[in-house]
Amino acid sequence: MELANTLKQDGESRGGVLAHLERLETQVSKSHKNLEEPQDAQALEARIHELERLRDNLRVEVKERQARVKASTASVEPDQTLEISEQEILERKQENVKAILQAYRFTGISGKLTSRGVCVCISTAFEGNLLDSYFVDLVMEKPLWIHHHSVPVFIPLEEISAKYLQTNTQHFLFVLCEYLNAYSGRKYQADRLQSDFAAFLVGPLQRNSLCNLLSFTYKVKLEGQSFPFCARLLYKDLTTTLPTDVTVTSQGMEALPSTWEEQRADHENLFLTKPLHQVFTSFARKGEKLDISLLS
Amino acid sequence: MDETLAEFFRRTILKIPMPEMMTVLKTWNFLSENQLQTVNFRQRKESIVQDLVLLCEENRASLNDAALLDIIYTQFHRHQKIWDVFQMSKGPGNDIDLFDVEQFKSSFKKILQRALKNVTVSFRDAEENSVWIRIAWGTQYKKPNQYKPAYVVYYSQTPYAFTSSSQLKSNLPLLGQALTVASKHHQIVKMDLRSRYLDSLKAIVFKQYNQSFETHNSTTSLQERSLGLDINMDSRIIHENKVEKERVQKVTQEIFGDYPQPRLEFAQYKLETKFKSDLNGGILAEREEPLRCLVKFSSPHLLEALKSLAPAGIADAPLSPLLTCIPNKGKNYFKIRDK
Repeated sequence: MELANTLKQDGESRGGVLAHLERLETQVSKSHKNLEEPQDAQALEARIHELERLRDNLRVEVKERQARVKASTASVEPDQTLEISEQEILERKQENVKAILQAYRFTGISGKLTSRGVCVCISTAFEGNLLDSYFVDLVMEKPLWIHHHSVPVFIPLEEISAKYLQTNTQHFLFVLCEYLNAYSGRKYQADRLQSDFAAFLVGPLQRNSLCNLLSFTYKVKLEGQSFPFCARLLYKDLTTTLPTDVTVTSQGMEALPSTWEEQRADHENLFLTKPLHQVFTSFARKGEKLDISLLS
Repeated sequence: MDETLAEFFRRTILKIPMPEMMTVLKTWNFLSENQLQTVNFRQRKESIVQDLVLLCEENRASLNDAALLDIIYTQFHRHQKIWDVFQMSKGPGNDIDLFDVEQFKSSFKKILQRALKNVTVSFRDAEENSVWIRIAWGTQYKKPNQYKPAYVVYYSQTPYAFTSSSQLKSNLPLLGQALTVASKHHQIVKMDLRSRYLDSLKAIVFKQYNQSFETHNSTTSLQERSLGLDINMDSRIIHENKVEKERVQKVTQEIFGDYPQPRLEFAQYKLETKFKSDLNGGILAEREEPLRCLVKFSSPHLLEALKSLAPAGIADAPLSPLLTCIPNKGKNYFKIRDK
């Protein structure tokens, strides 16, 4: 305290003046600030007011413009919507027609015009399952000729076209359709037997390209015993999916006990009248009824 | 096991490249998984082969097993052989072909065995109802030579058979006869078609090479594809003869199509024609005899090369029909005479 006082007393001549000057300086700067702050605040406030005014003006303008646009569209609307809907209608029609053309393949025979003729698509099916499609690219000249095709080489295409292509093209397509559908159906049955009923087969399924000769050995249960039968299915009519000749024989044994003989004859009849995989489905069901396990 | 048989096994297994060894052995399915696991596949190849041959002896492998392994090796390396194509025909009277593959095999074998006492015939069923036949030829007095077998690939209920060119040409008529009778045909003719690429030959004669068809379901148009090259070009590059280029593209596309071409290595043209010249006189112009000359086109992929000739500016479009008819006619050997 004394020191400070002595300093003060001394400073009054020098330190005192300097200190006084300092005090005055700080006072001035404070007062400046006090002056400025209200000024800044004022400026900011003024700015805010300005911006608010601008915003209100813009809002008014936007509303006016929207109203103008609505008014103009309201007056123009009927004509423009007419144009749009016509174009839309045409586009929708075109898409519809394209979809119908694409869906035509479900009818079995469909086609598309090409630069030189028509490309016919034969879509095969069996029991409601859509199977492979085959194409024949026809050139419309005299004589009509086939440019290229995807018909398998073992289907007698040359024979069928020699008979009907020039004289009755429609019949040519129908006959080809018959052959291809029958082939697809036979192939489907053989594939189903190999994949779904492999448990019944003893050894491999012997087949050929046309699937018109099938030879296999299968086991069926009866009275707790399982017995192997050899089946040989011949499809002499290439336009059908059911065999024309069936022989079911017992493997090795000469004379069968009567119950087995009945089974054998019954199976022969089954193979002649029902598609192959359906026959095995019925075997599977019988097996389920008699026994829990399907495998012997 | 017989020494010669063991040697045959050794040489057959030795042929198989190491990266394929496991795949081939598993396809063969003669040695069990357990047996294969006992072999140390990190040894030198000769030692591996020795171990495998011992395993074969353990399993009492027969000549037929060895032949089957040979067939599998050839199926994996079919390009190492050159294949010929034969076409069979039936007489009039179309009986439905009820092809029984077991009957075919036994009939084929019997015909060969009746004619030649010493012959080894082996079969392996393959994809798409085809059968691969391996024939080792012997004579009345000599045992069959297992190291120069002939192979036949036959797809059931088709008129075509593919044979690997056998060095023993004298047996060809017998082979033809066996094939014809066993497959219930009447005649057999050798086609003027030959290549290493069995799958391409099949595509050509079965007419499977062009499988692009116009349907309502197809999305890419043909025009888009052909102009695709132009779109990628720098816009500062202008094609001076754009019209001609487009014409060439169009013609090439019409003839060769958009599909990948079947693979052939050569086309051979035997010319027997009189010399034709615009110049009057000259030694060659006076000749009555036709000139004989052979023109051979070779390429790793002949048809793709021919397809690119016109677009590359090397040849005029359309190309000579002698070149473009190759897949269509199923021929790559031609004899051209004066009409």
